[in-house]
Amino acid sequence: MAETKKYWKGLEELSGSAAVQALRENEFASELPVDRFLSDDKNLNSSSTSRRDFLKFLGFSTAAAALAACEAPVVESIPYVVKPDNLVPGIPSYYASTYFDGSDFASILVKTREGRPIKVDPNPQALINGSTNARVQASVLSLYDTQRLKRPVVGGAETTWNALDGKVSEAIRSATASGKSVVLLSSTVNSPSYLAMIEQIRGSYANFRHVSYDALSVSGKLDACEKFTGLRALPVYSIGDANLVVGVDADFLNEANGQSLSGEYGKRRKPSASMLRHVQFESVMSLTGANADKRYRILPSQRPAVLAGIYNAIAAKAGQERINAPTLDGDWNKVVAKTADELWIHRSSSLVLAGGGDYESEMLALGINQMLGNFGKTVVLKYRNRLRTGDETALQGLANDLKSGSVGVLILDRCNPAYDRPAMAELLSKAGMLVGISNHLDESASLATAVAPSHHYLEDWADHQPFEGYFAMQQPVIRPLFDSRSSMESIDRWFGLGSKSALQRVKDHWISTQFAGDSEAWNRFVHDGLYIAFDSIGQLSEPALVDGMASMKELSLSSNSAGAKGLELSVYSKAGMGTGRLANNPWLQELPDPISRASWDNYLTMSASDAKELGIENTTQSNGALNGTRVNIKTAEGQVLESVPVLIQPGQAKGSVGLAIGYGRTKAGKVGDGVGVNAFALLSGSSLNKHFMSGLSIEPVEGEHEFACVQLHHTMMGRDIVRETTLSDFLNRPAVDGGSGWNERTQFETYAGPLTADKANLWKDFDHSTGHFWNLSIDLSSCIGCGACVVACHAENNVPVVGKEEVRKSRDMHWLRIDRYFSSDMNESVAEEEGVSAIDMFRQMEDPSENPQVVFQPVMCQHCNHAPCETVCPVAATSHSAEGLNHMAYNRCIGTRYCANNCPYKVRRFNWFLYHENQEQFDINYAMNDDLGRMVLNPDVTVRSRGVMEKCSMCVQRTQYAKLEAKKAGRPLRDGEANTACAQACDTGALVFGDANDPQSKIALAKKDDRMYYLLDEVGTQPSVFYQVKVRNNA
Amino acid sequence: MHYEAPVREPLVLGNKSYHDVTVEVARPIETAPPRSWWIAFSIALLLFLWGVGNILYTIGYGIGTWGLNKTVGWAWDITNFVWWVGIGHAGTLISAVLLLFRQKWRMAINRSAEAMTIFSVIQAALFPGIHMGRIWLAYFVFPIPNQFGSLWVNFNSPLLWDVFAISTYFSVSLVFWYVGLIPDFAMLRDRAVKPVQKHIYGILSFGWGGKAKHWQRFEEVSLVLAGLATPLVLSVHTIVSMDFATSVIPGWHTTIFPPYFVAGAIFSGFAMVQTLLIIMRKMFKMEHYITIQHIEMMNIIIMVTGSIVGVAYITELFIAWYSGVEYEQYAFLNRATGPYWWAYWSMMTCNVFSPQFMWFKKLRTNLIFTFIISIVVNIGMWFERFVIIVTSLHRDYLPSSWTMFAPTSVDIAIYLGTIGFFFVLFLLYARTFPVIAQAELKTILKSSGEEQKKHHSDHDGHH
Repeated sequence: MAETKKYWKGLEELSGSAAVQALRENEFASELPVDRFLSDDKNLNSSSTSRRDFLKFLGFSTAAAALAACEAPVVESIPYVVKPDNLVPGIPSYYASTYFDGSDFASILVKTREGRPIKVDPNPQALINGSTNARVQASVLSLYDTQRLKRPVVGGAETTWNALDGKVSEAIRSATASGKSVVLLSSTVNSPSYLAMIEQIRGSYANFRHVSYDALSVSGKLDACEKFTGLRALPVYSIGDANLVVGVDADFLNEANGQSLSGEYGKRRKPSASMLRHVQFESVMSLTGANADKRYRILPSQRPAVLAGIYNAIAAKAGQERINAPTLDGDWNKVVAKTADELWIHRSSSLVLAGGGDYESEMLALGINQMLGNFGKTVVLKYRNRLRTGDETALQGLANDLKSGSVGVLILDRCNPAYDRPAMAELLSKAGMLVGISNHLDESASLATAVAPSHHYLEDWADHQPFEGYFAMQQPVIRPLFDSRSSMESIDRWFGLGSKSALQRVKDHWISTQFAGDSEAWNRFVHDGLYIAFDSIGQLSEPALVDGMASMKELSLSSNSAGAKGLELSVYSKAGMGTGRLANNPWLQELPDPISRASWDNYLTMSASDAKELGIENTTQSNGALNGTRVNIKTAEGQVLESVPVLIQPGQAKGSVGLAIGYGRTKAGKVGDGVGVNAFALLSGSSLNKHFMSGLSIEPVEGEHEFACVQLHHTMMGRDIVRETTLSDFLNRPAVDGGSGWNERTQFETYAGPLTADKANLWKDFDHSTGHFWNLSIDLSSCIGCGACVVACHAENNVPVVGKEEVRKSRDMHWLRIDRYFSSDMNESVAEEEGVSAIDMFRQMEDPSENPQVVFQPVMCQHCNHAPCETVCPVAATSHSAEGLNHMAYNRCIGTRYCANNCPYKVRRFNWFLYHENQEQFDINYAMNDDLGRMVLNPDVTVRSRGVMEKCSMCVQRTQYAKLEAKKAGRPLRDGEANTACAQACDTGALVFGDANDPQSKIALAKKDDRMYYLLDEVGTQPSVFYQVKVRNNA
Repeated sequence: MHYEAPVREPLVLGNKSYHDVTVEVARPIETAPPRSWWIAFSIALLLFLWGVGNILYTIGYGIGTWGLNKTVGWAWDITNFVWWVGIGHAGTLISAVLLLFRQKWRMAINRSAEAMTIFSVIQAALFPGIHMGRIWLAYFVFPIPNQFGSLWVNFNSPLLWDVFAISTYFSVSLVFWYVGLIPDFAMLRDRAVKPVQKHIYGILSFGWGGKAKHWQRFEEVSLVLAGLATPLVLSVHTIVSMDFATSVIPGWHTTIFPPYFVAGAIFSGFAMVQTLLIIMRKMFKMEHYITIQHIEMMNIIIMVTGSIVGVAYITELFIAWYSGVEYEQYAFLNRATGPYWWAYWSMMTCNVFSPQFMWFKKLRTNLIFTFIISIVVNIGMWFERFVIIVTSLHRDYLPSSWTMFAPTSVDIAIYLGTIGFFFVLFLLYARTFPVIAQAELKTILKSSGEEQKKHHSDHDGHH
């Protein structure tokens, strides 16, 4: 036992001699000469320091110390009088909540520090949509937007809530009295409490109705679903159960239907014998199409023709009746037949997804899926998707009512028809009174007589039912910053429903309806952010199928419009901007589009051959920046969009152009205003649902547009950067096979025989065999390039936004970028065959193919264990850690930029200007330049000063935090406890972070994978980041 | 006394007495400057002030005022730095190496060449300073004890070696130059009539008395400093070249850089000496001291070093091909045929082709032609550094990061500002310092003066 153990200082102590005994008694080994010192009068008197002096010194130093302690300046901070129990400074708290803005839905965890939300993370408990895309990641910044509407506004002047409520109630009363209708127009609403409230209003106001619409309408799709299931709701797709997915103009990885499919997709794209195969037909190169194994370029108008072709081919196999289909050209018939054959092989484990929002395409897709036996397997009808419920017909009805002047009061709740239905803008003012409920004084709200500021979602209570039987709770994580009010509460007051707060309404609804008074269940719901109303999937019944196939014959499919004149234009949404609701968010504006790599813009995407015919050019300026021709667009219906820039986009179908929605806002705020053009202006009539129109005329105009592209070269120039192999090679051939395998390391001939670059070096190696060794694996097969990691990194690491002009000068500050490469028609073997000279070969290699294969490669600091940057810094500001990380000591950096020059990966970013507290230059970056915006900054990460180099730190603040937590708990760190922001945000599982010295960790397994390789291994940098070879399913 | 063969061309023309030399060297200092001097000085001063303004603007707002970007982290800043350091090489070479080799012809040109060295090293030293993001912390590059504990500079970094190389070179050059100036300052002191002037030159001449002991010490110190400075001629540009050679960037990572850079430096340095002296001999009527023979000698050096540089360029191309490294091959192909082909071919034309004219005696003794070539060479050498720095960086390993560089008005202003600063210093020097090392020149007047030589040969004929 511990207490019986005894140690001796020496033999004397053991033997217990008297001298030792005496020493032990005395505190001081020898007598202190106090007496002698005090009695030495002569010496004491001659001393210049008297007792009085001593007291003076003592007094002065005490006073000085006390004064110095009082000096600490207190700037605009209020100490807690009573500290909340669960709030410890420096320790983050997480709250489960939900994001839903009418188009994007996500179950989230909100990280708060000292009471302020600073980061949105995915909620891992969510069964569906528990991931955060770029928009959801960025949404936290919009909370701190000083341009939000701060107070109620009536008639353009700020007023009080009472005044506003009085005015609106009065208007509703008089409309009711005069027999005019009261209409609530909103984006998709799936909140049970909200819908219950609407029912309540409808009960007491016969003239009330609720109309909802989706910015990018899928109304036709919903109608098609109704034909099949009797319910106006989209099905939920289970892509994880599919072996083959065929997308026809469907941008499903970009959550076109609201359901997030990227997670399942990413997992099923891990190479194995049963790897998911993906075939895509599309016109615009979408995020989804870029990831396809096989991508066919079709005109948007060919969408029904291709679907009908597949339908008929499958119908022939399934013994079903054929439908009248538009004819396809010779080659297309073969392609369609081949696709149908493939689908037939994967009966009941395939999935056909149609794009657009039109009735015909969805009918065909549903018909094909039913014939293939996919219903109940990959197309799950029982979890109805409630994220898109908009009804264009109802909206059209409202428009007619407005025209006829029969609308007394029109209330707009979280929708912006003046922007996304520009044709409505004029009609809005025809309502007796227009009332807006909005975050911003946006295009529509600014037309309204009364505007009620609504909460940001992080300030608001709400419940959601995104899918049948699946509920999500949105709880506030901060008190409202401004004098805003929940929209539910506003509506409640206007209709005199008892002035319930949003919390009361939601809570009452749940405790009385679902939980039967069980407040414990309510607490659990709020805590988890989720509630699933059924115990097992079986409990939820499949809807009774209506015979949808019967309606098939009635489909009137427009004939292939290849003969039609003019270009076809399809509208699409970008991974960064979505429908444009967050246009005033600088993180999203600066996020480069995954495909074009352009930020701060939308543009007409056009194929190179069309551009050539029309005399449209993209040119490189002397500083590398890209310029493009501007054009005027005129649709067959007569809509005109002026001065639209054109970006030549490889993969764009010839004869078609694309234009992203979400841009061209005029009243979004200082960040979003005037960025791009409004594509909604072109949509009308049938194109609202089809998302495309034919017969477009384009005419180049004077003046060049200046793009802000972060990537100006689009091919790999024949270099070994993204390694790629086919599934058959992956399955049947060894990775390393004497130089001919599909994942060989470069060997150098040396005196000691062939060596890899890490062995053939002059430097002393760092020893990483003990302690932690942080590594990051990036699976290029799973990565879909969505950009969620880029925004997550922005938020976590206080990465500055620099604005369009600076991005254009190639000075974007992203610590993590996703390189996108297109394949080229030229390569070394082609050059050899055709006898092309080296100069011409490289020149032609710069041009991507017309329909290229695409690869995405996230690149951040590779944390080289032989880092070229570390050796060249004159002041040792960047140096290596024992844990395999490459550190930056910002305080030590003098900004010579030598490290950035010597970085083969070009991941270092320099602070060219002062990016924070610099309103003069960077006021668009409100995350760093105004008092409110700065609330979003992560207090664990330094904001870098001007003249300093910065780069990815592998979220060292997170690993340090996790290590300390483990240390406090007295246990080793568990795998997954420390995670980088990018890996956490990655829904597809492409990014895996961990301690490679922990043999059980996921990262250690990834490091041993056959597919593992180092980027630019031959340079000998020995990175801590490694990649997994991309495997293309060529089946 | 030193004897020189009659076949050697005289180094001092005309029938000069010692007094003539004194008077002619002191004339620019003792007379009012001509109008042309004032014009040149005003232009230089304006350029200099414009440059200063732009430097202050850069320091005030950040390096973002330049044209640099995430891929091209150095461009005109380091191009100018290497260019000025290179120019600074001729002075020490002329005064130290030629002294050791007993090349008497150096005596007419070494003073101005050394002045040029010092002034151009000042310009060069400016750039590593102002190119820093945080110049106010520039002292971090010195290994000085500090309160941060064991925080120390990184001795692996070639940029740190630069700090030592440039500061050593500057101090040794300055001392060497100054030692040579002492007897000449004494001469000015002795001739000065205004008391202030006399006093200043008195201080500057360190109480020189012209005693035998003074002369002996003067000679010894000169020899010792020449010995010290000679390795510096090679080391400075070798170390500057290592900024690039020790990196991993294709086009920079090249072992040929040290000799190639040194040859290039001498090449550009001599060209700059030519530019300056051709103007000066005309302006100050020093045709008798700086003769066509001097010009020709320097032209020959320019031709030889230019050819060495040409061989280096071709070797680089060969090695890139021979190495089999795709990045290296592309880097050089891109230099010659990529978007910066015009810079590469300007460099080739100016540096490799133009000096070849000097094979013709007629051309290399033609003043106008020499003057033009001397400027062309320095344009070419500026492009050489631009080509090495910018075309290597703008397209390195990952094509996703490839971009271009374009200078801003601030880049241009700072560059022109240093040229202005250089000429401000040089023009002031030309009016206040003896531009020819007259004390040294007098030692060869009897052996290499034109008349004296004639007299000698006549005299010899009588025997």
